[in-house]
Amino acid sequence: MPEIAGVGPARARRPFFGRLAEQYRTSNKVGYVMVLPYIAHFLLFTAYPLVFALILVFNRWDIVTPMEFIGLRNIQRLFRDATFWTAVVNTLKFLCCHIPLQIVLSLLIAVILNGPIKFRSFFRGAFFLPFVISGAVVTILWQQLYSTDAGILNLILTRIGMQPVPWLTDPAWAIYSIAIMATWKNMGFYIVLFLAGLQNVPPELYEAASIDGANRTQQFWGITLPLLQPVMLLVVILSTIGGFSLFIEPFVMTGGGPAESTLSVVLYLYKQAFQFLRMGYAATIGFALAIMIFIVTFIQRRLLDTDQPV
Amino acid sequence: MRINFRSTMVALLAVTLACVLSVGAMGAKAPVTLSFWPSSNPQEIEFAKIIVKAWNDAHPDIQVKMEPLPASRSTEEVLLAAIAAGTTPDICANIYPGAISQYIAGKGLYPHDTLPGFYDFIYARTPKDVVDAFTYKDGHVYQIPWKGNPIMLAYNVKLLRANGIDPKSLATYSGFLAAAERMVKDLDGDGRPDQWLYAPTVDVTWWQRLFDFYTLYIGASGGKTLLSGGKVDFENDAAEQVFAFLQTIFKKGLCPKGAMIGDAFLSGKIGSTITGPWSVPYYDQNAPEGFEYDFVPIPVPDGVQGPVITFGDPKNIGIFANSKHPLEAWEFVKFIMSRENDLLWLKITSQPPYRRGIAKDPLFVGYFEKNPMMATFVEQGVYTRGVDDSKYLIEIFDTISKQYDLCCVQGRKAPKAAVRDAAQAVRDILAGW
Repeated sequence: MPEIAGVGPARARRPFFGRLAEQYRTSNKVGYVMVLPYIAHFLLFTAYPLVFALILVFNRWDIVTPMEFIGLRNIQRLFRDATFWTAVVNTLKFLCCHIPLQIVLSLLIAVILNGPIKFRSFFRGAFFLPFVISGAVVTILWQQLYSTDAGILNLILTRIGMQPVPWLTDPAWAIYSIAIMATWKNMGFYIVLFLAGLQNVPPELYEAASIDGANRTQQFWGITLPLLQPVMLLVVILSTIGGFSLFIEPFVMTGGGPAESTLSVVLYLYKQAFQFLRMGYAATIGFALAIMIFIVTFIQRRLLDTDQPV
Repeated sequence: MRINFRSTMVALLAVTLACVLSVGAMGAKAPVTLSFWPSSNPQEIEFAKIIVKAWNDAHPDIQVKMEPLPASRSTEEVLLAAIAAGTTPDICANIYPGAISQYIAGKGLYPHDTLPGFYDFIYARTPKDVVDAFTYKDGHVYQIPWKGNPIMLAYNVKLLRANGIDPKSLATYSGFLAAAERMVKDLDGDGRPDQWLYAPTVDVTWWQRLFDFYTLYIGASGGKTLLSGGKVDFENDAAEQVFAFLQTIFKKGLCPKGAMIGDAFLSGKIGSTITGPWSVPYYDQNAPEGFEYDFVPIPVPDGVQGPVITFGDPKNIGIFANSKHPLEAWEFVKFIMSRENDLLWLKITSQPPYRRGIAKDPLFVGYFEKNPMMATFVEQGVYTRGVDDSKYLIEIFDTISKQYDLCCVQGRKAPKAAVRDAAQAVRDILAGW
């Protein structure tokens, strides 16, 4: 390993605080001033809420009365709480439908939009539009489209001789209906990511492949997809984090029903915190959610990121 | 740095002069400013604007600043957050008695009974039993009884007549269900029904149960609420009958299964809806030409005797504990609740105030002659119940909502099992964890 200038073995043996003090003395003080706004922001909006939430995990607190230390009871309750586990299963069902659907559709549309088609800029803008529209507005509109008795989707289905679908009123359908809507709303963002990835694929690779006799499908599987892997990893991780944060769609559309089939972990957290004022338990759910996201994204990274040592 | 004697003296003189001037300015008494949060619906804002202007014109020394309650999912969330943050107003005119325990636990509300002349004023205006109902267990009155909204059944006069339904037949569950069967029709021939008698909501938000299960339970049980002496008091036949009634409506397809687009009652898609008197100005302003409506008591199980008791949906006024001017705030509250302003309130919002002998009060007689529908609400107002005083009330309603969804909407549970499970879940909530 090359020795870093000024960090000799003698210096490395100094006490930690001594080294720190010397680093500070010899450093450029302007740097500290430059990072101060970020540090203040970090302490106020990240470190403090995180530490406070951790304290809440071991307390009962309803906002208006003083906190009461209850040890591990919030955590014990979490393991016994059937509704919480229902919410976890619902969230996983949502993810299993939403992520593959989102990746396949986004990639497909990105590939089409990357080709020489007419009105390409218009279509790129049109597909991105739902992403920038307010989630509540989109949800209310879809709620009307999905209406079992008066929705336009069921009207079309009945006109073509099919049975109406209980989109949001049947527990077997509701979470998937929400996943379809969420996919439609977020797809634009992932199309942009895939488009950026596609435009970084060197065209000479396609030329060489086509000289070697590879058709379009073979080129897609052999060149496009492998070279899109970093973008794919990003899309999978962002979709997973976004999917675990599912809230506004069930909050506005179904309130968690029917029969708790659309109750997501974040919606359950919201209800515990702001309806029942069980702040300690809500913080416990929050930490459990963070751990779940960490585990799932860690596994995804291990499986998808070939640059990482396994 | 050298200190110049002359410049020091000039600075000292300037500071002294500034102090003298500011003390002089303080001597001229600044007006007291009170903050007042009314509900954010258009009629209540209109009323608030009028009375605040009248008050401010007459009281230059006590000025009131009105701000409608900040937008949120519910008033209770806003007020609890304000109590926690210490940002409550001086007065709020939308206190829901179901959340009062939490406000008191947070030391948010002023004990109004300690205000000068409180009982003289309140007993002159409000019947004693109403005041007693809103007196907290420690003997203090933390909310000033203001208005009640008896929940009744609004019906579309022409639509029911066209379908040969007598509104009186809606009084019992059997009559209601028979009428509901007659009303279900596919008018546009698309193979889907588009007309019903009633559309109970599939929304599982806790407060929705106040206007279906809870209202019907009060009626079916002859005036019981969910708790009695801090214990579950709804594991009974009345609750099962209510669940069975609502389950039949969904099961037989007598109502739409999903959320309706727009106002289904005003658009003539449904013939009746359970609502309160606040709907009167809304219907008058938004109903299509020729739309006729009226109110009857809510349906009760066959065989229930005596006057129908319903949910009163009371809303009260409160002065907050962190008010720096509780005495001035009390004067303003008395102004809001004055006889003349009660009449103004009634005219604008159609919500009956808790005023003693209102139907026969000469000031109000003319109003009731012009608005006989409101006289119906005043008559019903005598037979109402509020909500239980429990800090777990929202959680209790949420639990019932879950069983309502499973039993009534989804039809996956028998009414008896749904009531039993709801009761057990509420016992667990009350026991704490």
